[in-house]
Amino acid sequence: MTLLEFARGPALQASALIMIAGMAWRMAGILLLRRRPQYAASRHSLARRMGGGASLILSRFIPRRTFWPRIAVGVMLSAVFHLGLALVFFGGAPHILLVHQATGLIWPNLPKGLIVMASGLTLAAMIALIVRRRLHPVLRLLSTADDYVSWLLVFLPVLTGILLSGEAIGDYGSLLTLHILSVEALMIWLPFGKLMHSVLVFAGRWTMGVTFARKGAAT
Amino acid sequence: MRRFIADIGPAAALAMESCVHCGRCAEACQFYVQTNDPRYTPIHKIAPLKQAYERELGPFAFVYRLFGLAPQVTAKELESWQALIYDSCNMCGRCSLICPMAIDIADLVERARHGLFEAGLVPADYLGALAEKEQATGSPYGLTQAQFRDMLHDIGLKHGVVMHVDEAKADIIPTVSSIDLKMFPASMAAIARILNHMGVSWTFRTDGFDADNAALTAGDRAGQRKITLGIIRAALACGARTVVMPECGHAFTEMRWEAANSFGQALPFRVVQITELLAEGLSDGRIRVNPGVGERATYHDACQLSRRGGASAAPRLILRALGVDLREMGDAGDANWCCGGGGGVALVKRAQPLRDLAFQIKRRQVEATGAGTVYTSCSGCRQTLEHGGKTANWTSTVASLLERVADTLAHNQKD
Amino acid sequence: MPEDHRMPDHTETLGAALVRHGIGRRDLLRFALAMTASLALPPGIAPVMAENLARAKRRSVIWLSIQDCTGCLEALLQSSSPTLESIIFDFISLDYQETLMAAAGSTADRMLWDAVAANKGEYLLAIDGSIPVKDGGVYALTGGRSTVGIVEALAADAKAVLAIGTCAAYGGIPKAYPNPTGAVGVEDLISGTPIVNIPGCPPMPDVLSGILVYFISFGRLPALDERKRPLAYYGTTIHDRCYRRSFYDRGQFAQSFDDDGARQGWCLFELGCKGPITHNACASLKWGGGTSFPIESGHGCLGCAEPNFWDAGSFYTSLAGGSPTGWQNASMAAAVGLAGGAAAALLARDKADPDPEETPP
Ligand code: SF4
Ligand code: SF4
Repeated sequence: MTLLEFARGPALQASALIMIAGMAWRMAGILLLRRRPQYAASRHSLARRMGGGASLILSRFIPRRTFWPRIAVGVMLSAVFHLGLALVFFGGAPHILLVHQATGLIWPNLPKGLIVMASGLTLAAMIALIVRRRLHPVLRLLSTADDYVSWLLVFLPVLTGILLSGEAIGDYGSLLTLHILSVEALMIWLPFGKLMHSVLVFAGRWTMGVTFARKGAAT
Repeated sequence: MRRFIADIGPAAALAMESCVHCGRCAEACQFYVQTNDPRYTPIHKIAPLKQAYERELGPFAFVYRLFGLAPQVTAKELESWQALIYDSCNMCGRCSLICPMAIDIADLVERARHGLFEAGLVPADYLGALAEKEQATGSPYGLTQAQFRDMLHDIGLKHGVVMHVDEAKADIIPTVSSIDLKMFPASMAAIARILNHMGVSWTFRTDGFDADNAALTAGDRAGQRKITLGIIRAALACGARTVVMPECGHAFTEMRWEAANSFGQALPFRVVQITELLAEGLSDGRIRVNPGVGERATYHDACQLSRRGGASAAPRLILRALGVDLREMGDAGDANWCCGGGGGVALVKRAQPLRDLAFQIKRRQVEATGAGTVYTSCSGCRQTLEHGGKTANWTSTVASLLERVADTLAHNQKD
Repeated sequence: MPEDHRMPDHTETLGAALVRHGIGRRDLLRFALAMTASLALPPGIAPVMAENLARAKRRSVIWLSIQDCTGCLEALLQSSSPTLESIIFDFISLDYQETLMAAAGSTADRMLWDAVAANKGEYLLAIDGSIPVKDGGVYALTGGRSTVGIVEALAADAKAVLAIGTCAAYGGIPKAYPNPTGAVGVEDLISGTPIVNIPGCPPMPDVLSGILVYFISFGRLPALDERKRPLAYYGTTIHDRCYRRSFYDRGQFAQSFDDDGARQGWCLFELGCKGPITHNACASLKWGGGTSFPIESGHGCLGCAEPNFWDAGSFYTSLAGGSPTGWQNASMAAAVGLAGGAAAALLARDKADPDPEETPP
């Protein structure tokens, strides 16, 4: 079995299973903690509370105007990074195909030129973000190994993806192998580190949205 | 460290799990914004809580323990954290508004205080305030029932208003805050005057009156519930349909949103903040005022009433009814800046320099409005603003919205 | 291929043989030029090559077919109408080839060992098919003797071994799971004698002729890559040279074999084309005398020139997609995760404070 076969076969399977199991574990471990019934009279109906959850999920994508002057740099970098990554993942033909084969879902892809450009921007934003993390006193204080590991495990797939698209160094087979292996490393790590925020963000915002709507506060 | 992680359900766990270390919360917090000291980053303030959570409660707690990734939080560590948790957080929840992960950091700070309180690490000032009350009077309110009764009658006499005290049956039970008792007794006269004006059946209850609940911000869960349940029992005893929270932010948070949970069932009466009652009365005509003209004023939102309590509209309705020319501050309403004294920070003496720094923001904001008066509906804010104003040689006056309404009542009936 | 089966005259030069076929020096030079291009040699070397070819003597080639399907030989035989290459095939002295030779049984066997004795250290050993080594090599016997031993003996005295086709090079289809005969490629068995792998199922005839021409002209083997393949033919992938490459670069992929994209000749990547990881010369030399190659006729590359291509998943699974994780496995994983998380949460519940209601004030 070549490394590529290993990467595409058992390794992909294993990492997908680890990812699924890990995510389920973590979410269950959080959501099944004892839930206290809420007895205080809500200001809003159940429907409005749900609406609050949904609305906060959306509204938190864009910070309130008043916060912008102080956080614009970080927000923009992170926006470029997240949008770029989303574009590359959801728009890249091979990625769509992978999802298609795993789930049966399919959607049209974006032209490769655009994908390459987006991954270039993503890469640049990531580099800026890590530099900023090392330089900004608050970020330095908050950062843990998780932040750096997670950064690296996202960075590598983007980097190998770009190399792969241009076949810049090395041949397609070995670059593809590296790309797949790096994504698998990411998948394995996803449930255990901060990358889990890709799921937690929705649960967290929903929870706050419902709570705030119950109190009649802004969502 | 069990207490630390007590009462953590899915919502708090989500909050604990989600932080992406983006640092944005720092930019929303007055203590960081005014000092640029990274230690004042909101989520950093609860680091020991998170460590305890990861070790004891998280989905992968066993891994953390196995590999020693989250060591036991030591008493020493906690001690070093005391100032961050008590002095530099107003539990104002402004950080909860900016956090992209929607982490309610203010709520986590409250939980962190539970842990510190259990560990005996509540600041001495607090203990002083609490113990003083208890020991001097045998009641958590700092006054015996008899003392309170006498006090109320004195206030009634002094302000020429009929007081209802300890009546057996009443529809409405107003409560007061200990700050009012000490500093602003006129506010008790004001509420009496207004309730009389409305012609409702009401009474102060000396067995449940001080809603201020310093125990909440101290992290004293038992004390907090003791006070709250006292008020609930008093309200039940006289068959009240409405319990009115005084001009106090945290009192409202506790009674409106937490009390029923401590009680274990829905409350058989409704809980409103005084501004909500006033707005209601003004809208349905039970309260009539003589509106003035041209008074230029601004309104300072108490975080617990606006951002965290959903009661931002009421005070504005009142100000309109009073004919006040309202000049809103930037970020008014949900994104307001705390006065700097919330969350019990006003109680901690050593926090004063920090508090004053935070106050600078408020000062700039008020000055930018050009308003002569700052109204507020929280005597905690009122006290902090007055104090800050004094140190900053402020020309604006700070006033209570409640008292302002009481002073403007249309006098066409007996009070 | 050989029409007369008498023992060939080992002293005739190739030049003389060509003249016999009415092919002159200029044709040979033109051929040498084409060959240098195909072998990626500098064109200046062509006259030397032509000269050497004209002077070259016959080379003895011994060809063993083991676990083969005769496809390789068939492809070579059917390669094209009489061309210079075919004459060069003719020119080599194919001293032993079970499928083609008239002799059989012990006669054939004797011819084999005679040829070995006569050309010791000089002959080329060509092998197609894999070698079954399991159970003492009993799965392929010649005259009651295991081919494992025969291959070892023949290789020891050969100048070089040509592993023709993917089976001989890497084990190929016989080696595919579950590999009941323990099939291996030549390189797994032989050491000490130079080996040239000419993978492909079947390999390209032009590649074999290129190697032969090179060997005949220069008396040594062409440059090889780390998989012992002639660099000139296997240095690039199908994908590198594919005429549909521009569609790949633009992200235009046929989604099925009869959709619009397919009709417009879009890239077959998503339909499972293995071109990007397959090293072979199909896309440039093409088959059927330069007519076409699989991708040109609308089907993705199967990757037949790569090791273990038969076990590398479906021909119709895209390189990007691995073997999909079955829903069943996924739900199992989710269930395991949920159970673990639930257990953790329940344990944690015990640690959390008793309900406030239980501790009355
Ligand atoms: S609640 Fe307010 S004071 Fe406390 S950390 Fe957050 S922003 Fe700062
Ligand atoms: S804003 Fe939220 S996610 Fe960002 S560092 Fe603060 S708590 Fe963490």
